[in-house]
Amino acid sequence: MIYLSQLLGKPVVDAADEQIGTISDIAIATGEVFPRVTALAFKGPDKTPFMLSWRKYVKEFEGDKVELNTSSDELRFSYLQSDEILLSRDLLNKQIVDTQGMKVVRVNDLKLSDSSNTLRLLGAEVGMRGLLRAISPGFEKTVGRFLSIFNQSIPENLIAWNYMDLLEHDLSQVKLSVTHKRLHELHPADVADILEQLAPNQRAAVFAHLDNTQAAETISELEEEYQADVIEDLSERRASDLLAEMDPDDAADVIGDLDYGKAERLLRLMGVEDSDAIRKLLGYREKTAGGIMTPEVTTGRESMTVEETIEHIRDVAEQRESIHYVYVIDSENELKGVVSLRQLLLEPVEKTLGEIMERNLFVANPDDDQEEVAETISKYDLLSVPVVDDKHKLLGIVTIDDALDVLEEEAEEDLVRATGRSEHKEGANPLAWLMPRRSGWIVLWLIALFGMSLASSTLNSKYMASSAQMSSKTFGILVLLAGAAQIATLGATILPLILISLEESAIRGIELLTDAKKDERPSLAKRFLFGGGVASASGLFSGIIVLALTDLLTGSIGLSSAYGLCVFAAALVSGLLLTALVNMTVRRDDKGKPTSPAGISLIAMLVCTLIVLGSAFLLLVYVPAFSASILG
Amino acid sequence: MTPQNDIETQPAAQRTPWYKRLGLVITAMGPGIIAASAGNDAGGISTYSTDGATFGYKTLWMIFLMTFSLIVVQEMAARMGAVTGKGFAALIREKFGVKSTIFAMTTLLASNAATSVAEFAGIAAAFELFGVSRYISVPIAAITVWLLVTRSSFKYVEKVFLVLSSVFVTYIIAAFMAKPNWGEVIHATVVPQFEPNVNFVLLVVATVGTTIAPWMQFFVQSNIVDKGTSVKNLFYQRVDVITGAISANIVAWFIIVATGATLYKNGILVSSAEAAAKALTPVAGKYATILFAVGLAGASLLAACVLPLTAAYAVTEAFGWERGLDHSFSEAPAFNIIFTFVILFGAALVLVPKAPLITIMVMSQAINGVLLPILMIFQILIINDKRIMGKYTNKKLTNILAWITALVVIALTIVLLVGSVLQKMGIL
Repeated sequence: MIYLSQLLGKPVVDAADEQIGTISDIAIATGEVFPRVTALAFKGPDKTPFMLSWRKYVKEFEGDKVELNTSSDELRFSYLQSDEILLSRDLLNKQIVDTQGMKVVRVNDLKLSDSSNTLRLLGAEVGMRGLLRAISPGFEKTVGRFLSIFNQSIPENLIAWNYMDLLEHDLSQVKLSVTHKRLHELHPADVADILEQLAPNQRAAVFAHLDNTQAAETISELEEEYQADVIEDLSERRASDLLAEMDPDDAADVIGDLDYGKAERLLRLMGVEDSDAIRKLLGYREKTAGGIMTPEVTTGRESMTVEETIEHIRDVAEQRESIHYVYVIDSENELKGVVSLRQLLLEPVEKTLGEIMERNLFVANPDDDQEEVAETISKYDLLSVPVVDDKHKLLGIVTIDDALDVLEEEAEEDLVRATGRSEHKEGANPLAWLMPRRSGWIVLWLIALFGMSLASSTLNSKYMASSAQMSSKTFGILVLLAGAAQIATLGATILPLILISLEESAIRGIELLTDAKKDERPSLAKRFLFGGGVASASGLFSGIIVLALTDLLTGSIGLSSAYGLCVFAAALVSGLLLTALVNMTVRRDDKGKPTSPAGISLIAMLVCTLIVLGSAFLLLVYVPAFSASILG
Repeated sequence: MTPQNDIETQPAAQRTPWYKRLGLVITAMGPGIIAASAGNDAGGISTYSTDGATFGYKTLWMIFLMTFSLIVVQEMAARMGAVTGKGFAALIREKFGVKSTIFAMTTLLASNAATSVAEFAGIAAAFELFGVSRYISVPIAAITVWLLVTRSSFKYVEKVFLVLSSVFVTYIIAAFMAKPNWGEVIHATVVPQFEPNVNFVLLVVATVGTTIAPWMQFFVQSNIVDKGTSVKNLFYQRVDVITGAISANIVAWFIIVATGATLYKNGILVSSAEAAAKALTPVAGKYATILFAVGLAGASLLAACVLPLTAAYAVTEAFGWERGLDHSFSEAPAFNIIFTFVILFGAALVLVPKAPLITIMVMSQAINGVLLPILMIFQILIINDKRIMGKYTNKKLTNILAWITALVVIALTIVLLVGSVLQKMGIL
């Protein structure tokens, strides 16, 4: 997956590996479902714009540059064709409106897919993720890490290109072409995809346009998290109708997520037959065979002939999720065997089921793990597996489409487990330990900040109240304490900012160093220069903020510049220290010794805090003018 | 690529009989007048009063020159709205991308929040003249404003506020009754005067900021878009904008004349709303305070209702978030958070104990003045983009006037900042 924002500004190099410009835009040919990138627009020296055919000249696109297959003097430039549009100029940042005026969003980024050298436009990113990426990819990552502590992620919201429509001659707006009329032509799964991207009230608006059958199917296709929401938004009458229309197992899933009162009311509104089926299923635990099975089974008796059975299937097919197998049961509902549709078609019509049925069959118990059942179905290429109780009585069947859902779900979970911060992967990047916990530090700082400002204000009021009766010595100590608390408060306001930037540079440094080969690493001097640069920049920034704050509170320019200087010094020293620590970590890493990343960041934080507090304290003790100015 | 609206070329004015034209002018009236009246809000009144009371007629020339700047800025906003059919925030996003948009929206929010503080300070001051504590009037006003905005009943109340704020027209009578030396007044209007001190520069910046408030550009443009004004009717929109600008500045001019002729002559500084109200004594005698308080309350409430929505619409439009008053909080969180924030921020800051109301009002306008050039530069760059505006880009004269306004305000800001720092260090 490539995003347009990653492409823009990247260098374009010719066959001789010489840079001839930077990418300024790319063009696509409209008219295809997922249109190909047809041309590359780039800015040459002196910002002259050029355009090249992508197909003819682009050899390959790597993450950081576009390589051409010809030398620069053999290039033939082209012009924008009438059916071509430029992604950055014509689509990026533009508004997408639904033809019904339902949803108005902005294109924050464009997603492209790279398949065998052909770039294709997949769709427009309209969610928060694209917005953050447009600010800077680093920022997107930082926010993502922050959210991951709360087990959240930045929502990505993609509108596929095939739903979009460009009005000719007017590129000022992009129209979302999913009109209500066309909604009916879409597959319920596609409708579900779109619905998930809409706001709740708009979802309800769309549902108003769907007939019951289609609405029921669409709800089944929705992700679990949306199903209950959608039902909540519908009127109870309609909700109950839709649930009755759905396959009982799907309906039970949805109802299981509703609160008890609502679920009861909906069940009462539907026919006894439908509600009974659902109630039975509700008794089974989630993620078990019982939870995903449907009670609507096509059954037959041993005595029935093939002809009778086919007739029977014709009668009940309407209400059955699956008719591929006829399960043979006795009067006690005990499962005896199974006959496939194929057998029914091939065997003579007068034979009975008892004669042709397969008695040896795979069964599941309602408490079996759903994944096991799904795997059985997948492994033995079955279309469904019967679920039976202890007495071998038939309760229902798990069909292949439910099994596929389960497998998909589980695969996703496994993927998350593999790519997320799992316990087994620790040690790959020493500071990875810190990433999810970093905002924990910030929260700590905020609490500390609150405490300190409280202390500072109580101390202040205390000596104000009692300065008259105090000896000069205790009074002096109180002044000192109040001053220190004041500075600590200011320092604490700003420390998280410094720490974050310091850590960011440390993480970058470690990534850079551990990833690069030994001889490709930047020299130590360079690294110190970089670390010092980042530290002084953040120090300068926070120093100025502290200066302004102090000035605002005390009105003394001398005092505020002294405070500002303290903060600046702290940032600079701890920045350099951190570079040294990072260097040490990497060396130890080379020798195969792991370093505790918590230790490293703790040292840097402590040093930074100590310098802020210490230098402020020294100022107060040795420069009498400052303590005097605090006293006011 | 050509914009969609360039079908009509001839101004419709040349083909329509005069009475129909008048009708069209009246229907087009609105955004310009409202924006300009809302411009003479709490911040405006206090800044102009301070101008007159502190420096006499010395700032009158600014009002004269700024009339042209205000017309240019408002006309550009109206034209951009009519040609593109999009708000200013949307155009910034589409031309400059995400980063610049964040910058511009932060500027707008800061300007809006500052002005909102001024409006609540105005409300507090007005009710204190009636003897109502600000700890009662401000929270009630904040809730009232919030309800008016969210229940969209604002459009019914809007006219009431507008009428209340028109009380300030009495400044015109007050100015005449104070019998100023008209020769002096005219001289001060056409001959620029300058005082080399930080206070004067601060007031000049504040005067610019209150006359050409940044949020007005957004307000006028989105109003034009909402009305669906097409390029065809641009002529009438121009009439609206120009009359609005001129009438607002006439009132401003008379406020300075009236305060200059009364307060300045008697050495009264505008340290409180009570002092400011004294300028109306020639008209209303002992009822001057009541008259002033009513006008101040009306103008402040009007602006306090317009401001939060302007900010909320602009920001959500720029980032493609759900917006509109018919959306609940969970459907349009950003929209609701922004206008609630603007209201609460304004009210909360005024409630800080011993907050100096008049200073707050003037300072907030200075902030507006400092931020104005940033948004003006965005505006000028967009309106000169042929891909966006087609043949409706700026004429040379408009460009010169716009750039001069922006650059002069930037220069004033630099002078102000350097001056303040020097003063702080005891050099000046």
